[in-house]
Amino acid sequence: MRFYVFIASVFCCAFADSRKIRGISSSYKRFYRERKSFLCIDGSKLIPFEQVNDDYCDCEDGSDEPGTSACPRGRFYCTNLGFRPHYIPSSRVNDGICDCCDASDEYNSHIRCQKTCWNLGQRERAYVEGQMRTLDEGLRLKQQLIEEGVLLWREKQAQLRELQQKAEDLHLKVEEHKKRKHQADQHKEQTLKTLQAGGAGSRQHNNTASGLFQFLDNNKDGSITVDEVQARVVTIHDEKRLLSENEAVALLGGGRQMDLTMFRHTLWDTLTKGDNVKIRDTNAALDSPVVEDPLLMAADRAAKWEATNLKKVEEAYETVNMEISDLQQKLAIDYGTDWEFLFLNSQCYKLQVYEYTYTLCPFNQVTQENTAGTQVSLGTWGMWAGEPKNQYSQMVYENGEPCWQGGSRTATVTLTCGTETALRSVKEPSKCQYIMDFQTPVACQPVLKQRGIHSEL
Amino acid sequence: MASFTERMAFVLVMALCLSGALAVDRGNFKTCDQSAFCKRQRALKPGESPYRALLETMELTNTRLTLQLINDNNKVRLLLELYRLQGNITRVKINELKPLKPRFEVPDVLVREPPTEPLSLLSQDENGVVLSLGAESQRVIVSARPFRLDIMEGRDVLMSLNSRGLLAFEHLRMRKDTSQADSEAEKKEEVDPANPAEQTTKDEDDKDEDGMWEETFKSHTDGKPNGPSAISLDFSLPGVEHVYGIPEHAETLRLKTTDNGDPYRLYNLDVFQYELFNPMALYGAVPVMLAHNSQRTTGIFWLNAAETWVDISSNTAGKTVFGKMLDYVQGSSETPQTDVRWISESGIIDVFIMLGPTPKDVFSQYASLTGTQSFPPLSSLAYHQCRWNYNDQEDVKLVDAGFDEHDIPYDFIWLDIEHTDGKRYFTWDPHKFATPKEMLQGIMDKKRKMVAIVDPHIKVDSNYKIHNEIRSRGFYIKNKDGGDYEGWCWPGSAGYPDFTCADMRSWWASMFAYDQYGGSMENLYTWNDMNEPSVFNGPEVTMHKDAMHGAWEHRDVHNLYGFYVQMATAEGLIQRSGGVERPFVLTRAFFAGSQRYGAVWTGDNAAEWDHLKISIPMCLSLGLVGISFCGADVGGFFKSPSSELLVRWYQTGAYQPFFRAHAHLDTPRREPWLFGPENTALIREAVRQRYTLLPYWYLQFYQAHCTGQPVMRPLWVEYPQDPATFAIDDEFLIGTDLLVHPVTEEGARGVTAYLPGKNEVWFDVNTFQKHNGAQNLYIPVTMSSIPVFQRGGSIIPRKLRVRRSSTCMEHDPYTLFVALNPQRTAEGELYIDDGHTFNYEKKEFIHRKLFFANNILSSINLAPDAKFSTQSWIERVIILGASKPSKVTLQTADGQESQLEFEFDSSMSVLTLRKPGMNAGEDWKVMLQ
Repeated sequence: MRFYVFIASVFCCAFADSRKIRGISSSYKRFYRERKSFLCIDGSKLIPFEQVNDDYCDCEDGSDEPGTSACPRGRFYCTNLGFRPHYIPSSRVNDGICDCCDASDEYNSHIRCQKTCWNLGQRERAYVEGQMRTLDEGLRLKQQLIEEGVLLWREKQAQLRELQQKAEDLHLKVEEHKKRKHQADQHKEQTLKTLQAGGAGSRQHNNTASGLFQFLDNNKDGSITVDEVQARVVTIHDEKRLLSENEAVALLGGGRQMDLTMFRHTLWDTLTKGDNVKIRDTNAALDSPVVEDPLLMAADRAAKWEATNLKKVEEAYETVNMEISDLQQKLAIDYGTDWEFLFLNSQCYKLQVYEYTYTLCPFNQVTQENTAGTQVSLGTWGMWAGEPKNQYSQMVYENGEPCWQGGSRTATVTLTCGTETALRSVKEPSKCQYIMDFQTPVACQPVLKQRGIHSEL
Repeated sequence: MASFTERMAFVLVMALCLSGALAVDRGNFKTCDQSAFCKRQRALKPGESPYRALLETMELTNTRLTLQLINDNNKVRLLLELYRLQGNITRVKINELKPLKPRFEVPDVLVREPPTEPLSLLSQDENGVVLSLGAESQRVIVSARPFRLDIMEGRDVLMSLNSRGLLAFEHLRMRKDTSQADSEAEKKEEVDPANPAEQTTKDEDDKDEDGMWEETFKSHTDGKPNGPSAISLDFSLPGVEHVYGIPEHAETLRLKTTDNGDPYRLYNLDVFQYELFNPMALYGAVPVMLAHNSQRTTGIFWLNAAETWVDISSNTAGKTVFGKMLDYVQGSSETPQTDVRWISESGIIDVFIMLGPTPKDVFSQYASLTGTQSFPPLSSLAYHQCRWNYNDQEDVKLVDAGFDEHDIPYDFIWLDIEHTDGKRYFTWDPHKFATPKEMLQGIMDKKRKMVAIVDPHIKVDSNYKIHNEIRSRGFYIKNKDGGDYEGWCWPGSAGYPDFTCADMRSWWASMFAYDQYGGSMENLYTWNDMNEPSVFNGPEVTMHKDAMHGAWEHRDVHNLYGFYVQMATAEGLIQRSGGVERPFVLTRAFFAGSQRYGAVWTGDNAAEWDHLKISIPMCLSLGLVGISFCGADVGGFFKSPSSELLVRWYQTGAYQPFFRAHAHLDTPRREPWLFGPENTALIREAVRQRYTLLPYWYLQFYQAHCTGQPVMRPLWVEYPQDPATFAIDDEFLIGTDLLVHPVTEEGARGVTAYLPGKNEVWFDVNTFQKHNGAQNLYIPVTMSSIPVFQRGGSIIPRKLRVRRSSTCMEHDPYTLFVALNPQRTAEGELYIDDGHTFNYEKKEFIHRKLFFANNILSSINLAPDAKFSTQSWIERVIILGASKPSKVTLQTADGQESQLEFEFDSSMSVLTLRKPGMNAGEDWKVMLQ
């Protein structure tokens, strides 16, 4: 019922002022009521009403010719029943090109325009529905990604904490190993010193049991051990041969160590009176104490061992620190209010355009590769560069490979709403300035109001 | 997309040995001293000429005089031919009497064998002869010893030839191969008294000099199998202090003297980043010079297509204004005189002396020889959007949509070399331009057009049809050993079709047929670039002079190559439409006569203020020698313009004949809407002004086509007696009625324009303010200012409904701008046809005279035998400098009368007649009472 009324009103109005109404939206109708005269909308001039839409421009603001091309600043309203109404510049009225889908702009030209509003409207509605579906689906996916993003963010934070803990532990270890290495180094140095002093010392102290004992007691702990024996005592027959552990134990009277009192009564005699073993000829030993001296070799080995250990721990510490700073750097990037863009980090998206393959690794870099496999950097992550209203709608990657005429390549990535995450297009409108269209659900924004397609006046 | 082309560009730069800096590398181009013949010829100093006229050999027929000249130094005889041509032109031809082999005479440039007028002998004695040049008491005096020619009118000498004794003619000779053989031959000749003395062609003159038989420049050797062949002649111009023309040079309008530097050079060259204000050769060459003083304008047309140098000297050059005044007061000094000397490498002396006496006469005289400007399609006078390159079809679509979105009109979008499949012209990149017809249809739906580039270098590639055809038909230029000449250009190794060959040209033309040129449509037009020809690895970036065009060396025909390329291309565009549609072809290289085939532009300029400034004298100089359809790349090709420079360039370009924005591949995008809304609005306004004036531009081109008058004119052409105009080249006239002084200074707050004409008035076209003529007027300017004035006494039709393209405006009504002179009269013309076909030749047009006198404005048919109907009507008449009428009556063709509404602005004295409504093609009268 409402529909009929509406049709009737259209007809009635169209009849009443069919000429004058051309090119006016209903909200402007009040300015064009049929009277004796017409006041230009800007108030600048009063003209007879017959001069409205008479194909001559009287008003500065073009308001007297809404339906013709006469005014340079005029505009024509396409009613476009069934589709979106919109204004076109007056210059497009009767220019032989169909602009309004209701064909209203070409009422006096050679061209016959198809009325396409219903089709366009349907297509538009289908499109908008599709868009809405995409948007809904996109927003749903986005929500998921936000949830995942939060989890991922937490995970990353946990990972960071873990790493930081690990780093702390490693730090302690490093300190400990530094100490140990220091000790080992000192011991080694001491051994070397003793050894160097020992050449003279051995003869000096060989005369008394306590002197010899002290000489043999390399680490000055008050007892002689197996390795100390091995270090300084050799068989008379073969001075070059190292005593075996069993032999050393035998010399120590079957034990693994021996004190001075015991020494006076056993080994001292064996060494001074026997013809089986003797103190290594220290003169010969002095020539290359480090290589030859088993005690020194042991100390050296120990020092090296500690050094290696320290290095290993330090490396581990460094690695963890690097991981931390990497992660911190990553986490310092703005991933959106809900960390919804976080999942893009560590992903890469490819697109082939003509002879080039483009790779976008969000928050990292953009590259271009030709068919021959040569890769060119188009920029590394710079910043978000969308409008203040939605800064997450655009990314900039900068400082790519330098250009021939100066400057370096940059890539501007526009993010649009879609149900899949993918690189959609790449263009190079000016040399070295790349523009990419990147589709992803996280770019979907809830829309408060959809621009409607009116199906009535 | 970047890396490959960039690397290519880099390779090219290396190939050209260019610094990549922002100025030309002069080392790539010869100075006169490095050009052997120029050096030889310039070494000759003024003095007594060795040439003597043998009066006894004189033959005078109805149409010509012939006479032998002899060089007393070497006894070589020359044949002088002298013709009196219709329209006050004298032609002087000098060739060897018996050349060893024929010398090249330039074909195809003259539109026909020029019709002659009878010469008559006035007197003769042993010193010379006096001939009458028909009317106006003009005589030519042939002096015998030494030979010289003086052209007189009354008691005044208008021009003298060989008055400084610089006639030189290097006769063809056999090469004296080895010194032994040489001396033997000499001995033989010496001991052979039977040899007729005059045939013994040897003297000190004949001594071999360096560079006569071989010349090396950089790594290039020019083998010269024909030996020396240069020619030279001097012209004296008494009373002349201003000479113009001989384009193309990046030079002021008024030519400078060359005593302290190189002569002006005419040799078509692809000059990378050319410098301003110097005599170096550029892309085109028109060997025509105009000489002007307040009494007379004359012209010299030196018809020779070989490398040519022109020396200019003057006895007043260097004198200060005060010095000249002193001379004048003391009444002492000699009359001012300019001396000109032409030197060419080969060919013959064939010179046309155009005797004016007015500038318009000289233009008509030159047009009678080489033809007039082709009548372009109306749309080609509108705005062109170009860039190297629009990347793909999508890009084209977006740019097209951008113009609509920002409501800026345009008619043509252009595609540079990247649109092709690997720089194979006549093809399309299979990915980026996969469906060219779809793209062209999209443009056609908006009533717009496209231009795609077709260069004359052809990729050597056996899978390329064009190459295979040219090769199999033997159409390539040959190298000196007889093989196909190959050079390096955009596609890499390339062959160069021999466009001097008529068969080649007609084959080339046939390649533009829709079934040959795949993807082409009727709204696709052509651009010929690199047709100097450009050869990246050749001497001076062009072709080796010893390359062969059939029997002739490239040396002989070099400056003609680009002329022929455009000729063949234009012919192709005509043929593809069955002879119906007018072609549009842009060329970079050109020669005398190129005006017949389309438009030219000033090549690869730069985004600098000085380049903007020089666009005016460069196009003015071209207009003076017949080439009216001239423009410079708006915005500058190299480098990136500031938004101020870009806006100023649009404002200037909107008032120059060929209006195209163009940009180098490596520059950032610069479509008009990329510089903020304010600049977009300024550019939009400039382009819209162009579109409103299209009826006037079209009329100017119709007139240029009919009469040969330039469209864009120096002020002195219209005010030849006002010396203040003689050197002005920062402002110009369009036709006779619009004076333009564009703003070409950075940060300008005002310009000073000279408004010529003692009894004239000029109306500012924006404010309608009236100014008196013969004054320097200071005009304050803002960024939106384009100082343009309409001459009082003129009527200019405009179409004020600016639409998307000129074609969309076809049926729109006119507004007539009637600017009254102090006598309260005005006149103008209106020309209407279909805008794109040759049907105007079948008298399908409207041509009306609009005339205002005695308070009556009337439209009178100038072509009663022509037929055309238009829907366009007169929507408005604006009369500037009017007084208020009490009543305005319109009388239409059928005698009906009606009252017109009007408005009168008394502050500016502007009367606006509201909607008279008569059809633009009919008779009518409007009476003010």
